[in-house]
Amino acid sequence: MMISRRNMLRIGGGLLAGLSLPRLTFAGDLVEIRMQGNADGSHVWFDPIGLRIQPGQTIRWLNMDPGNSHTATAYHPKNFDHPLRIPKGAEPWNSDYLLPNENFSVTLTVEGVYDFFCIPHEHAGMVGRIVVGQPGMSSADSLPTQAPGGEPIPDIALRAFPSIETIMKQGVVRPS
Amino acid sequence: MRIAVTALALVAAFSLPALAADQVEKAPPSGAYKKVSELVKLPDFLPGMGQLFVDPKTLPAGPFLAYDREGKLVSTIYMLPIEDLTNKDKRFDDLASPGGKVDHVDVYYNAGHPGVEKPHVHVVLWHVSKAEEARVAAK
Repeated sequence: MMISRRNMLRIGGGLLAGLSLPRLTFAGDLVEIRMQGNADGSHVWFDPIGLRIQPGQTIRWLNMDPGNSHTATAYHPKNFDHPLRIPKGAEPWNSDYLLPNENFSVTLTVEGVYDFFCIPHEHAGMVGRIVVGQPGMSSADSLPTQAPGGEPIPDIALRAFPSIETIMKQGVVRPS
Repeated sequence: MRIAVTALALVAAFSLPALAADQVEKAPPSGAYKKVSELVKLPDFLPGMGQLFVDPKTLPAGPFLAYDREGKLVSTIYMLPIEDLTNKDKRFDDLASPGGKVDHVDVYYNAGHPGVEKPHVHVVLWHVSKAEEARVAAK
């Protein structure tokens, strides 16, 4: 897995428009997940919240919320004692706080299910799920919800994950 | 002479609160207040709130002092975690309110941000009129 981070101006609308419709993605494509929030900060979300990609594709998170900072952080014991909810053998990532218009990229090569969260907003249900290739599981029920010594995942976050079945079927799952 | 000294003492005594209030009217406020964007990674100017200052010892409740783009105080904000508000054993007593006259008050939910990482309530004491809230609106 390759990770890169840089500050940049907001990218053009073409790529964003391309993500606005469900579609299958292909190896080599860069796909984007937007971090968003409403004006008073009462609602925050990833868009899309569920995504199916092929091994070797790169995900880029872009903070499009002008009034808040966000993170893209893998569920992994190395990240604040969170439970392991990425494939064994895959490297965890943590973008750290991204200011408005900053972005962070990760290339995922190991097949499986990757769950991630936003550090200051996990308790508000700001989480997402990426399925890479064939996940080897049809349900997320077997995934741990608490790491030894860590806090359990908040219910609001657990309820927010789209199902693996829906992601496999739709390719892109937008927040409701 | 004694009368003059007494008069000076009285003037000084009544002037101190006014001086204290003057210290927060313009950014940066004096005392232990620090710019929030230098304490945590947040935008320097938050649309809808402005430029925030807080005494780190008072986190998470505050008060946070909010200023417009000209550095004038517009509001005092308290940030109260939901889990604390629903805890019968938790209280927020004697929160400082150095901003002076309050025009109106807003109370609303916030999903969280660096510095106050869990859902909480913003209690906003506006020191300007409703129309003047536009001074901290997004450009």
